[in-house]
Amino acid sequence: MIEILASQVVSGLATGCVYALVALGFVLIFKATDVVNFAQGEFVMASGFISYTLLIWYGLPYWLVFLLTILLSGVMGVVLERVVVRPIMSAPIFSIVIATIGASTVMRSAAGIVYGYDVLPLPTLFSKDPIHLGILTFTVMDVGVIGSSIAIMLALYLFFKWTMTGMAMRATAQSQTAAQLMGVSVKQIFSLTWAISAGIGGIAGVLIAPIIYLDPNLGIIGIKAFAGAILGGFGSIPGAIIGGMLLGILENLSGYFFNAGIKQVSTYILLILVLIIRPSGLFGAVTMKKV
Amino acid sequence: MKKGEPFKVLLLVGTGVSLLALPNFVDNYVIYIGARLFVYILVALGLNLLTGYAGQVSLGHAAFFAIGAYTAAVLAESLHWPFALCVIVAAIFTAIVGYLLGLPCLRLSGLYLAMATLGFTLIVQEMLLQLSMITHGSEGMSVPTASVLGFDFDSDYRKYYLLLGVTVVMLILARNLVRGRTGRALLAIRENERAAEAMGVNLAQYKTIAFAISALYTGLAGALSAFLVGFLDPQEFSFFLSIQFITIIILGGLASLLGSVLGAGFLIILPEFLAGLDVWQALVYGVIMVLTILFMPFGLSGAIRRYAYRWFGIGAEPIIPRRLGH
Repeated sequence: MIEILASQVVSGLATGCVYALVALGFVLIFKATDVVNFAQGEFVMASGFISYTLLIWYGLPYWLVFLLTILLSGVMGVVLERVVVRPIMSAPIFSIVIATIGASTVMRSAAGIVYGYDVLPLPTLFSKDPIHLGILTFTVMDVGVIGSSIAIMLALYLFFKWTMTGMAMRATAQSQTAAQLMGVSVKQIFSLTWAISAGIGGIAGVLIAPIIYLDPNLGIIGIKAFAGAILGGFGSIPGAIIGGMLLGILENLSGYFFNAGIKQVSTYILLILVLIIRPSGLFGAVTMKKV
Repeated sequence: MKKGEPFKVLLLVGTGVSLLALPNFVDNYVIYIGARLFVYILVALGLNLLTGYAGQVSLGHAAFFAIGAYTAAVLAESLHWPFALCVIVAAIFTAIVGYLLGLPCLRLSGLYLAMATLGFTLIVQEMLLQLSMITHGSEGMSVPTASVLGFDFDSDYRKYYLLLGVTVVMLILARNLVRGRTGRALLAIRENERAAEAMGVNLAQYKTIAFAISALYTGLAGALSAFLVGFLDPQEFSFFLSIQFITIIILGGLASLLGSVLGAGFLIILPEFLAGLDVWQALVYGVIMVLTILFMPFGLSGAIRRYAYRWFGIGAEPIIPRRLGH
């Protein structure tokens, strides 16, 4: 019994790590530009399909596919930013969000046209063989996903802390005006932020597609990741990560105790309860506004 | 009369006459689309009250729509209540649910509110499937024909006029609400809650009332829609439907009754023109959506107001609404 629970926690953590990565993408863009990118889930989906195309249709080696997918995802992010978001940056935030939703619709239907709506399997580097470690039973895949996610998060942390560009991004997130006065090209930072977010989404796509299989509606993961980011406190990077991981674990656990349908909504019920107690999420900053 | 007033009156009368005469000149399918349009206008009115005027982002309106629809259907099918009573009770019940949802949402704003209401939609959709004893779950539920005092609304023609009448009445009520004290209170809340409180606006009261009225309109729309379509499928009442509703009021124009009507029209009628494109339909639809927002960030009504002022001097330069939830 405890073994099953433990393995559920581990596989939930794996899914949770992917949610965390996607949530990270949301929060990065939000911190820098105040925009919620509802096409984030579609970035994940698109990268899944891109890696599928490169791997299956062109037969490229796995490591090359991984790199190219991240690169192309980043390009996709920049394209979306330049074409859809930048022209309406001065519009009400709601309009920009609708624009990203429109973009996500376009991406989803494009994927449906090119690849059809049947579920496609994506071969993976990590095998699904089980490993036994004391009371825990999990797969190599789980380890791979968790490990890769943590590696990426660590890389990003180091990037933000120790590089000039990372510092420039943090400065822009704090205050665009001040950053500009210090010589930061805010426009370039915006594009870079979108590129990184889309790239993270790309990695998430490559990691999750072998687990839940590819189809154009994969973008729904964006909603779960969004919920995770809110749970942790939107606007807080550690919050997004913890929220995403927590969501994954809780989702799996409730799947064990309740039926599949309840599993889907258990996370949202929990989310609403958390929000009632802490309206800004677990680690969200409680903003005080001066009138 | 103010400048442009005769023009507005003429336009209104013209639209009214056209809508009244329409079903006599077009085929059944167009009439059905017209009826669906009225349903969506009702939803848009409700959502605009909450999100446009009061500034409370709601992704939960698919749930209110579902609650209205299923309540009316269950009352009609299981209890065999008369049509009018089913619809009214369904609308009031949805309003109560809206009020109850508004209570925990009092402390939430912006993205958190959006997420909470989104969660509500997903939970309600799942409940529709789980409570299959009453709702018939995933196999769907059929709705008996609407009838009032023996007069059956069994054709699209009759349903059209029924919905037209209800929509006009609700539109007038909304107009009065918006132009009165409540409307001003809601706008004050949207702009700055602290300041509104300082001016004597009871935040909790007005926010929950906004939720309730918004839910009332949407529940009413849902109930009527149930009788219009005749069949309920839980899959329809999804997160995507909530997004559709939000898209309607954004594209039409926030805090604008005209915007609610135009937005609903855009969302309902556009797909009909795209119907011949098969797989490309969704893609073209998405592109049009993006382009519309790019060129009209304040919605159709915002664009109309701006150009009515700039070209004809009617009205005034529209006030740009502040960013919501920040």
